[in-house]
Amino acid sequence: MSATNCLRCLSRPSVSRGVVVPVFAPTRTAAAFSTTAVQNAMPSKAKSAENQDRSVKVYRAGRKMTIKKKSTTDRGKPPGPGERKAFRKKIVLSNDNALPVPWVPEMEAGSLSDPKQVGKIVSLPATLQDQLRATEAFQPTQTWGLFRKPSTLVREESVQLMGKMEKAVADKTTARIVLTGEKISGKSTMLLQAQSHAYLNGWIVIHLPDAQELTNGSTEYSPIPNTENPTLYMQQNYCLKLLQSIKKSNEKILAKLLSVSSHSELPQNITVNQPLLSLINAAKEAEGAWPVFQALWSELNAPAAANRPPILLSLDNLPHIMKPSAYRSSAFEPIHSHDLSLVKLFVDALSGNTRFPSGGAVIAATNRNNGPRIPSMELALKQRLAAQKGEEVERKDPYFKGYDERVERVLRSVEVLEVNRIGKREARSLMEYWAASGLLRTTVDEQTVSEKWTLGGGGVLGEMERAALLTMRV
Amino acid sequence: MASAANSLRLCLRASRQISARPATASPLLRRALTTTAAQCARPGRKKGWKDPSDNFEFPEPYGDKVFNDLGEQLRYSLENDELSEADRATVQRALTDWENRPNEDKLEEQQIIKDIDKEFATLRAPVRARKNSFWNSEEQDTDLITDEVGEDDFEENDMMAMGHAKLEEHREYREYARIAVWEMPLLSQFAKEFVPPKENEVLRFRYTTYMGEFHPADRKVVVEFAPRDLTELTEVQQSKLCKLAGARYNPEKQTIKMSCEKFELPAQNKRWLGDTIARLITAAKDPADTFEDIPLDTRHHKFKSTPKYPKEWYMSEERQQELLAQRKESLELDMKKRRVNELIDGVKLIKNGVLATVREQEPVAVRVKGR
Repeated sequence: MSATNCLRCLSRPSVSRGVVVPVFAPTRTAAAFSTTAVQNAMPSKAKSAENQDRSVKVYRAGRKMTIKKKSTTDRGKPPGPGERKAFRKKIVLSNDNALPVPWVPEMEAGSLSDPKQVGKIVSLPATLQDQLRATEAFQPTQTWGLFRKPSTLVREESVQLMGKMEKAVADKTTARIVLTGEKISGKSTMLLQAQSHAYLNGWIVIHLPDAQELTNGSTEYSPIPNTENPTLYMQQNYCLKLLQSIKKSNEKILAKLLSVSSHSELPQNITVNQPLLSLINAAKEAEGAWPVFQALWSELNAPAAANRPPILLSLDNLPHIMKPSAYRSSAFEPIHSHDLSLVKLFVDALSGNTRFPSGGAVIAATNRNNGPRIPSMELALKQRLAAQKGEEVERKDPYFKGYDERVERVLRSVEVLEVNRIGKREARSLMEYWAASGLLRTTVDEQTVSEKWTLGGGGVLGEMERAALLTMRV
Repeated sequence: MASAANSLRLCLRASRQISARPATASPLLRRALTTTAAQCARPGRKKGWKDPSDNFEFPEPYGDKVFNDLGEQLRYSLENDELSEADRATVQRALTDWENRPNEDKLEEQQIIKDIDKEFATLRAPVRARKNSFWNSEEQDTDLITDEVGEDDFEENDMMAMGHAKLEEHREYREYARIAVWEMPLLSQFAKEFVPPKENEVLRFRYTTYMGEFHPADRKVVVEFAPRDLTELTEVQQSKLCKLAGARYNPEKQTIKMSCEKFELPAQNKRWLGDTIARLITAAKDPADTFEDIPLDTRHHKFKSTPKYPKEWYMSEERQQELLAQRKESLELDMKKRRVNELIDGVKLIKNGVLATVREQEPVAVRVKGR
């Protein structure tokens, strides 16, 4: 294709030649050297604002300052009230993508207390799952959602703990135990195991899933009438929630248990020989929840002749109830956590003031991540632990002011169970379970186990999970 | 300005040597060369008297007296000073000499002195720091080794000032090197053998010296002792002593350390420390109150924990054998499991699992009649 333009002269052949002949007007001789096209001068512009004569006022006309509205992008419907929290607290207990592990047996009544079972994985039966869900024993931070079926490892500590619980039932005493240990070493899971054991053995379980909820000022509170020195406070909303969870998780047993005394003070009159389930049902609203809970507690602790089942009272995040709460009295003085009636109930049981007539256990777990530092509690636990091991007991610092005598009184005679690091044998069976679930893409031999065990701080279970399970390399 | 004065002095000195004045003139005549006001040097100090123009010293003022001329001064000296016979004769001679001089001479001399006075008035005036000056930078530095004027001008007769300074530096090095080689070894003669303190020498004192220089801390004396070493005290008394010592007690080292710089001399301070310790010991021995109910206060002390490599972690023969045995055992365990095909392989399991689900769920297209 030939070019339409002559490339040498860059002039268009189509344009008539006659026009191109330049006419040099004498006035334009000065611009002979310019490379631009010959054009008439532009008409002179109006004077710019700077050069304008200031004496003459000129009003701007025709223009207005307008603020542009930001264009709002449609972000969709915001989550409704409570939806975010529900998402945060959502607990997923199964994962259909994970492989089922055929050789994991279901948990039975005696499987957690059997020393032969140490280092084995057992799965939670469906009914137990529902019960534990009702008491909020599962926590969203735990890795239940990765596996096909929720299962736990039977550890040496769990066998010890269940042994203590069984012994307490046999002796009709109350085992008072505090679980301590490093961060993510499995204290809350140990609580879950204790509850599982209790449910499977027909105990009544009352579980306070997070002590923080009781003391950080997030639920309503009111003084209990006719209490002086110190004034006690009830948290009716929390009580109602607790009653409902007790009802849901212990329904079968409570339906069989009959009341031994009449409770005319309740909104719904409860007479003798009515099932305790109807007693709980009497609490329809938050208003009467605390008296109903009190009535239930007195029924459960009825004299030994009533043949009540053993009770497990458990609480997670213990340090939160070992300090002044975020609540204030009418004189605007901080209320000590032990003056909150529910906490007082737990603390009385933990200190040994309340004894369960047919035996039982009070188990509390400390927390290290979010827990406040309570010097008295830390010292008391250290002292108990040293005394149990037969070592020299650390003394109280006589010049330190941060001790709390009420806390010391509570923890004076508790038993401390340290949730330690797991051994390599336990670690191996755990990792085999992970691999069998399709979550660990390696051959589980001694070397891998040793590697992950070391990476996990020498067998800190949560750290091992972080090292092997949560950072999977595909 | 100082250098100007210096050169002026040198010029005057040169001119003095060629002056026609008689050498017998009284020392007072040399006053013309000084930069100070016309005042008489004290005749009583004649023995150590030097030419004031040489060392540039300002002689002390002759009381409050101000003299108009030399004759007056000489007369005053004859009347009031205690002079030896020879001095008296010299002064007398100078006086008569002065009186015999023609009047113009006297006036001329006075004029010269006045001129010099005028010239040097600025020098004598104390230099005060200006109000707004920065680090008093306009002040003359009289301590300079060289006078900085014409320093960089090479006059072909000597090295430059920098060269001299470098030489001086070398001289200094060599001097210290000589000391190090010849004199320092001699110090070993004074070395004393270390004698460990005896059992009854409980107190350890520390003195401070600044090698002859004055220092506000050179009087300070520090004493340190361990209450445990005071064997005359019972355990209860020792603990009472620790409690009495308060913040001076170091619970980690278990020593009491106290110091004193109250008094001017170290010896006085040491005495005070000794007395105080004696008082403390008598108080500790006092059985009226043994302080047994009061716990020892250690809030003043911060305990330092220095982590040490645990003994158990050191590799030893036994530990090596133990580890080897463990490894062997675990290897055998793996082998055994591998033999019976019990070893769990995650990758294989996942593959099998995925295959199983695919086999189960894969939909098969079926042709339906009539469509």
